Amino acid sequence: MDNKFEPLADSIRGGDIDAGIAVVRELVAGGTSPLEMFSGCIEPTLNVLGEQFATLDIFLPELMIAGDVVNAIQDEVAPLLKQGDSASITKGKAVVATVYGDLHDIGKNMVSLMMQVNGFEMFDLGVDASPKDLVAKAEAEDADLLCLSGLMMPSMPFMRETIEMARANAKIGNKIKIMVGGGPVTAEWAMENDADGYADDAMGAVKKAYELLGIESMSAAS
Amino acid sequence: MKNTTKIFDLFERSLTGPIMTEKDFDMKCVSVGIAKAVKKYDITFDDKHIINQDDALADRVWEAAVEFLAECGVYHQDTSRIIKFSRQEIEDALRDAPSEVRLGNGTDTVVERWRSVDDERPPLNAGSPVGTPIANKYFVPVMQSYIKEPMVDVTTGATLETVGGMEIRTRSALEILAAWEEVQLIKHAAQMAGRPGMPYIGVQMSVSDVGHISAAGRGDYPSGYTHTLGIISELKSNNEIFNKLAHSIMQGGIIDPYANPIYGGLGGGKEGQAVLLTAEMIALSVFFMSACNGSSPTHPVFFNDTTKDLLMYQSLSYQAIARNSHILTNLTLTPVGGPGTKKLLYECVAFGTMCSKSGLTRVLGPRSATGVISGHMTGLEARFHGEVMHAATKIDRVAADKIVKKALSMYEDKMGEHEFGKPFWELYDVEKVTPNKEWLDMYQEVKEEVAGWGLPL
Repeated sequence: MDNKFEPLADSIRGGDIDAGIAVVRELVAGGTSPLEMFSGCIEPTLNVLGEQFATLDIFLPELMIAGDVVNAIQDEVAPLLKQGDSASITKGKAVVATVYGDLHDIGKNMVSLMMQVNGFEMFDLGVDASPKDLVAKAEAEDADLLCLSGLMMPSMPFMRETIEMARANAKIGNKIKIMVGGGPVTAEWAMENDADGYADDAMGAVKKAYELLGIESMSAAS
Repeated sequence: MKNTTKIFDLFERSLTGPIMTEKDFDMKCVSVGIAKAVKKYDITFDDKHIINQDDALADRVWEAAVEFLAECGVYHQDTSRIIKFSRQEIEDALRDAPSEVRLGNGTDTVVERWRSVDDERPPLNAGSPVGTPIANKYFVPVMQSYIKEPMVDVTTGATLETVGGMEIRTRSALEILAAWEEVQLIKHAAQMAGRPGMPYIGVQMSVSDVGHISAAGRGDYPSGYTHTLGIISELKSNNEIFNKLAHSIMQGGIIDPYANPIYGGLGGGKEGQAVLLTAEMIALSVFFMSACNGSSPTHPVFFNDTTKDLLMYQSLSYQAIARNSHILTNLTLTPVGGPGTKKLLYECVAFGTMCSKSGLTRVLGPRSATGVISGHMTGLEARFHGEVMHAATKIDRVAADKIVKKALSMYEDKMGEHEFGKPFWELYDVEKVTPNKEWLDMYQEVKEEVAGWGLPL
């Protein structure tokens, strides 16, 4: 990483939003483009944090505060982005939730956060999300991915119904990729129920998302 | 002893407490609060022991947890408010909380009592598959295989896969029917095993409030069965949980809730988890008016609770509770190994020994193969786990720590290997409900091996 980006990387690792914004303003004043910041610093820093989280060398709170800093930076530089730049720094849009009847959220939150720090724009509908709401959100955001989590067997019918409803949707049915995961869900279940992919942990979800969207480089997953 | 918190008071606090977004509660109250408590009370592990040997550290964990809980509170998702109890209120409620409870009926009644660290009495063995899915036709023989074991004191059910031939759907009539079927089948299994009053932790099938309220009702639910309900990680509740709670209180039920913090989640690493787990058990007792207070901490990658770090912080946390209160506590053993594997038995040795020496009053499981592989459960592993917990009372904490380390060394580097073993019907004579030679021989071999390490099995 270029030395000029070290203070920015430090602010992300340390969860310091004010410092992050201040460094970004300095970099912009010095002529560094937002895209350079993302490719030269933010993405590699988040990738390292993602790797550390996957091996439990750091934990959810550290990842959350790093994500908050990056969100604040994105807001700061948004007016400076040229047309097409947003697409360059975003890997895709994903709607994520724990399905209807299930209130487990920490595993889903870990997936959501790992995907966010790996470049996805996440729309998190929380827990207990109905098939109808999930599909409506995916349609409204023109999402690339629908990520469904469930830990309770009696909630699995609703996971299947969400998949069926998404596939039947005229606007997104043919293009959206659907990923599933959670305690009783297996790769076999995913295949039998027309999901595109299965992952059993947060890092696996990121790898699968890259694979499904045909994104080649992913240093965090290597 | 009685619970001093009252449902109306709890409900009122959920309507009048400070308003906060859920994300802010997660970060500002739980995550930051835990980090602050860990630092203030200098919660650090020496990494030399798995079973905690440092009583002063356990006492600091307790202090940290009480202070943290008084500042943090419990979040109510439906009202977006924090339910708060002051430190004084928490201490008063803990002082009045039950220190013993009768479970079961008739000649099968057992009494769950507070245990000290190093107690000479073993924890109750709640031998059971704890919600692992099972095809309906095997439910009764599987549950018989646990209930017929003399080492099993209490039980809880597997999860039925269907009801009336249909997939069970939460918050529907099918959930209510499945919950009723579970209660009827468990009573039948207990009768078939000759232990009709066997205490039961139910209802496993009732994910939502409707199944719980219907099946755990006055009509046909034995008074000696407990009323289990899960709170949401970390430290969250909602109207559905309150509905279950209000119903069970009005039934005069034994309130038996659980809270399952996730390792690496909002509580961070093992130091924070020790404080968070302790705080969650206190919260169950004080906020949710429980008789018993349970948990099954989860590893985010392996989905078990038998890794080194998890064993360490569970030991520390439950010692903290046992040394500083008289509340009843339980854990669920969730191993990676499945029936018919030595890995499962070694995980039982590590977990059972840790629990026995750390003041637990009841231990559920083993929820073999992480509880997600249909049919992978047998009563024999519950027998072995019970024998381990009994044997561990006969050695001291230092010797027990060595046993746990030895057991851990037998499976630690194979944690990621999915040795899920074999299903019930390949390891048992289903008609006679007896283990086959293959499984019995492995059990006997490991038992002799572990006895050779110094655990008097």
